[in-house]
Amino acid sequence: MSSLHTLAFEIGTEEIPAFDLHKAMLQLEKLVPASLDAVRIPHGAVSIHTTPRRLIVLVEDVAETTEALEEVFRGPSAKIAFDADGNPTKAAAGFARGKGVDVDALERREENGTEYVFATRSVPAQNVAELLPGVLKGVIEDISWPKSCRWGTRREYFSRPVRWLVALLDERVIPVEFAGLTAGNTTRGHRFLAPGPHTVPTASDLLSVVEAAHVVTSEQGREEAIRAGVARVEAETGFTAELPEKTLLEVVNLSEQPTVLVGTFEEEFLRVPEEIIVDAMLMHQRYFPLYDAEGALTNRFIVVTNGDPACADIITGGNERVVRARLADAKFFYEEDLKRPLEAYVERLDEVVFQETLGTMKDKTDRIVALAEHLAADAQLGQADAADAVRAAQLAKADLVTNAVVEFTSVQGVMGSYYAEASGENAQVAQAIADHYRPRFSGDEPPASDVGKIVAAADKLDTICGLFAVGQGPTGSSDPFALRRSAIGIIAMLEAGLPVSLMKAVDASLATYANAGIAFDREAVRAEVADFFVTRTKVMLRDSGASPDAIDAVLAAGVEEPAEIIARVRALEAARVNEPETFDDLATAYARANNLRDAALGAEVNEVLMGPAETALATAAKEVNARVEEALAADDYAAALAALAALRAPIDTFFADVLIMDEDTAVRENRLRLLNRFVGVFAHVADFGKMAKGK
Amino acid sequence: MSTETDSAMRAEGQAAEQLPPTFQDVIMNLQRYWASVGCVILQPYDNEVGAGTNAPATTLRSLGPDTWRTAYVQGCRRPTDGRYGENPNRTQHYFQFQVLMKPSPDNIQDLYLGSLRAIGIDVDAHDVRFVEDDWESPTLGAWGLGWEVWIDGMEVTQFTYFQQVGGFECDPVPVEIAYGLERLTMYIQGVDSMFDIVWARGDDGVTFTYGDVYLENEREYSKFNFEVADTEFLFQEFNDREAECLRTLEAGLPLPAYDSVLKCCHTFNLLDARGVISATERMAYILRVRTLAKACCASYMEHVVGIAPATDDTEASDAAAPASEAGKGERHE
Repeated sequence: MSSLHTLAFEIGTEEIPAFDLHKAMLQLEKLVPASLDAVRIPHGAVSIHTTPRRLIVLVEDVAETTEALEEVFRGPSAKIAFDADGNPTKAAAGFARGKGVDVDALERREENGTEYVFATRSVPAQNVAELLPGVLKGVIEDISWPKSCRWGTRREYFSRPVRWLVALLDERVIPVEFAGLTAGNTTRGHRFLAPGPHTVPTASDLLSVVEAAHVVTSEQGREEAIRAGVARVEAETGFTAELPEKTLLEVVNLSEQPTVLVGTFEEEFLRVPEEIIVDAMLMHQRYFPLYDAEGALTNRFIVVTNGDPACADIITGGNERVVRARLADAKFFYEEDLKRPLEAYVERLDEVVFQETLGTMKDKTDRIVALAEHLAADAQLGQADAADAVRAAQLAKADLVTNAVVEFTSVQGVMGSYYAEASGENAQVAQAIADHYRPRFSGDEPPASDVGKIVAAADKLDTICGLFAVGQGPTGSSDPFALRRSAIGIIAMLEAGLPVSLMKAVDASLATYANAGIAFDREAVRAEVADFFVTRTKVMLRDSGASPDAIDAVLAAGVEEPAEIIARVRALEAARVNEPETFDDLATAYARANNLRDAALGAEVNEVLMGPAETALATAAKEVNARVEEALAADDYAAALAALAALRAPIDTFFADVLIMDEDTAVRENRLRLLNRFVGVFAHVADFGKMAKGK
Repeated sequence: MSTETDSAMRAEGQAAEQLPPTFQDVIMNLQRYWASVGCVILQPYDNEVGAGTNAPATTLRSLGPDTWRTAYVQGCRRPTDGRYGENPNRTQHYFQFQVLMKPSPDNIQDLYLGSLRAIGIDVDAHDVRFVEDDWESPTLGAWGLGWEVWIDGMEVTQFTYFQQVGGFECDPVPVEIAYGLERLTMYIQGVDSMFDIVWARGDDGVTFTYGDVYLENEREYSKFNFEVADTEFLFQEFNDREAECLRTLEAGLPLPAYDSVLKCCHTFNLLDARGVISATERMAYILRVRTLAKACCASYMEHVVGIAPATDDTEASDAAAPASEAGKGERHE
C-alpha cells in the first residue's frame, strides 16, 4: 500500500460576488469528491474554504496511485457471436469494439447453461499526481456561475478573472493549467494587509499560510467573527442590532478579514421616517442598524470593514460621512415630497410602465379603484369603509413617483402612508396604503383591516388577471411578476375572513381590462385564472398537512372559491377524525354505489317495487338530501357532512339485504335508480369515492 | 480653507500648510498616472454624452481585435438629474474620468489602486472594496461584469469587463474604469457639497470653487432642460438626426453616423426632462436609438475593423443589413 498525501488546491480570483461565492462553495462540496471518484482516485475527507478572492479545496488521504481495475463484460451468446465456421460475426465485432478490446481477445465461457462471449478490460494503476492536473482543471470548468465573464485575451469563463492557482500534493506542485496560468506553490494574502506572494511549503500548510496573511478562510469563520463583534457592540452600547440573513451573508462574503466598527449619525436625521434610514443603511451600504431597548431606531450603526483594524477611526469617519450624505439626500427627498399632497402624484403614474400591453401604473390605479369598489360592495362594507377602500386604492401607487421611493425602493407603500397622513387622509386610508403590498410572502401578516385587505386583493388580482389575459402567466420556475405569491396572498386574506367571492372579483377584474380595450378570450382566461387559484389552494392545503384524498374529494364537487375549498377540506378532515369508521364506511359504500349506478336511468324510483331495506334507503336519501341542501345553502359544510353520516346504516343494510342485479329488469333498474339517488346526495358535498381509493 | 479637513488622507507629518489636491490636480494626476502606463490621453469628446462610456473612444474602440488604451475626462449630461444647483450631490452636468484598456491587463486591479495612490488616497489606511455591480446598456446592446469600488463605504468608481458591445462579442475583452470626479474630489477634500470643491488655487491664495465655475450653469440648464427647451424642435431634431444617421451609414461612415446617435440620445433625454414622452413612447424611442447604435457598431466592425457583421444577435444583423449592403466595396481604413 502506497503512502497517503494531502491535496491542496486554490483558485485565486478577483472579487467574486457574495451570493455567487456561497453557491460555488455548496457546489464544490459535491463537485470535488465526484470529480475524484470519477477517475477512481482514492481519497479521504474533502473540505472547501472560500473568501471573495479564493476558492480552496483540501483533500485528506489521497493515494499515490489509483487501484488497477479488471472489468469483465458479458456479450452475446456464442451462437450469435460466431458463425457456423467459427468466425466472429458482426455482433461479436461490435461488442468487442464497444468494450475497447480486440475481437480475438473475446473469451467463450458457459453461464447458466448457455455459452457466451466475454470481454475483459484491464485498467492499470495510475499515478494520481499525473491524473490531478486534468481533474482539477475540470473542477474549475465545472463550477456553474449565475453569470460569468471572459477577460484579457482568454476564451475561458469564470465568475471574475482568475489570477493565480496553487496546487500541491504534499510538497509536490501539481501543474494545473487554466486560462494561461500554471499552478505553483505561491499564494496571496489580504489585498492590503499582507498581499504576498507567500510560499506554501506543503499542502497541509496552505490554510495556515493564508490565515497568517490576514485572511479568515471560511464563510463560517467570518460569520462567527462578525457575530462576536456585533455582540461586543451590543454589550457596549446596550442596543440591539438587526442582522437580516441575506445582508449578513453578503457582508460575510465582502471581506477577507472582517472587523466590526460602530458609527454615528446626527440625531436630526431620526426625524426622517425610520424605514428610509434603514433602507439606506441596509440595502445601499450594508450597515446594520442598532435599536434601543424599546425597539426604536438609534443614531448608531454597525459597519463591517475589510480594512486595517489599526485604521478604524479613519474608516469609521469615512463611513459616517457617507451615511450623512445619504441621509441628507433622504431628508431632502422626504421634505420635497411633502410639499405636495399625495394625490398630486397620481397623475404622474402615467410615466411608469406597469406592463407593456397593460399600460401604465395610472391605468392600473384606475382598474384597482374599480375593483376595490366591487369588492367593497361584495363585502357589504359600510359607506365610510367603502369610501376609504376606494380612496386608498386611488392613492396606493402614488408614492412610486415620489423622490424618496424612486431613491429607496424598498419603502414603497410605507412612504405613501406617511405622505397620506401628512396630506390629511384618514388613518384607515393611510394604513391601507402602507399595507397594500401585504402579505409579501407566505406566512406574512395580511393587512389588518378589511379596507386594507380589499386594496391589497384588488392590486394583486389586477396583476394576476392582466398577465393571464396577455398570456404571461407563470410557467415552470419563471414567474417574473410573482403571480404565485400574489395568489397565495389573496387566498390567505380570503381564508382570514375577507367576505368576498373570488370568482366574482375575477369577472370584475377581467371586465376592467375588456373595457380598457385589451383583447383576450374572456371565458378561457377566466378558466385559467380559476384553475391557477385552485392549484395554489391545493398546494397551500397540502403544505399545511391536509390529506390529498380529502382535497381531491372536495374539488371533485366543483368548488372554485378558495375559501370554500379550504373550509370544506378542513371540515371533511375534522369529520373523518371524529367519526373515522362512519366516513370510511360511507366512502366504501359510495364507491360501490358509484360503480354500479347507471346515470342514464335517472333517479325516479317506483316505491311499489321496493322492499323494506330499499324503502329505508330511499327515505333516508330524501331526508338527508333536504338537510344537505339546507346546510349548504347556509354555508354550513360541517352540518352537511354530519347529515351524510345518517346514510351509513341504510346503505349498509341495503347492500347486505338486497341483490341489486335481480333477474327482473324492472326491479333491477329500480334498484339502480335508487343508487343514483343515493350518489346524488353527495354531489355537491364531496366525491367520497376519492377517499375510498386504496382503502 | 477651513472646510477642507484632511480626513481622507493620513497625516504623515506633512507641513501644516499642505492642502489636499484641487479638482484640477486630481484630473491632472490621473492623466499623468494613466499616461505612465501607456494610455492615450484624449481630450473630452465634443458632443453631448450621458456617460464617458458613450464616447466613441470607448463604445466603438471596444470592438475588434486591436490593442487600445485610453484615458480621458468626459463631461456628461443627464438632463433629468438637474436640481437647479440646489442639491449638493446631484447635477445635470458632471465629469467622469474614463479609462479603457483592451485587452484588460492581468494586473488591472493593482493599476487601479495605483491610480488612487496617485491622487493622494492611501489605500492601505482605508477600506477599499470591490462590490459586485454588473453593467448593462440596453441602448448600446452592451453588457459587462465588474464592481463598484467603495472607499470606506463610498462608491467612487465603476469597474467593468466588457463582454458585448453593439451586440458583438468583445474579443479581446476591454476593461473600463469610470471615476466620478466630483464624488472622488469631495472625498479627498472632505467637503459635503460638490459646489464647495476647490477647483483651482493660486499661490496668492485666490481659489475657484466648483460652484464658481458651474453653479450658474446648473441653474440655467436645469431651467432650460425642464422648462424652456422647445419640444417641437426636439421631436423634429430626433427624426432628422435619425434619418441623418441612416444616410451616413449608407455612405459607410460609422464615426460621423455615431455622432447622430449621440444627438438622438441627448434629444430624447431633453424630451424626457420636459415630461413630454409617455411611458409607452419611451420604449419606442429607446428601441429606435438602440437600432441606430447597433447599426453604427456593425458598420464600424465592417468598415474599420474589417470584419463583416456576423452576429448571433438577429436584431443587430437586421439593423446592420442596409449599411453593409450600401458599403460594399467601399473600405475606409
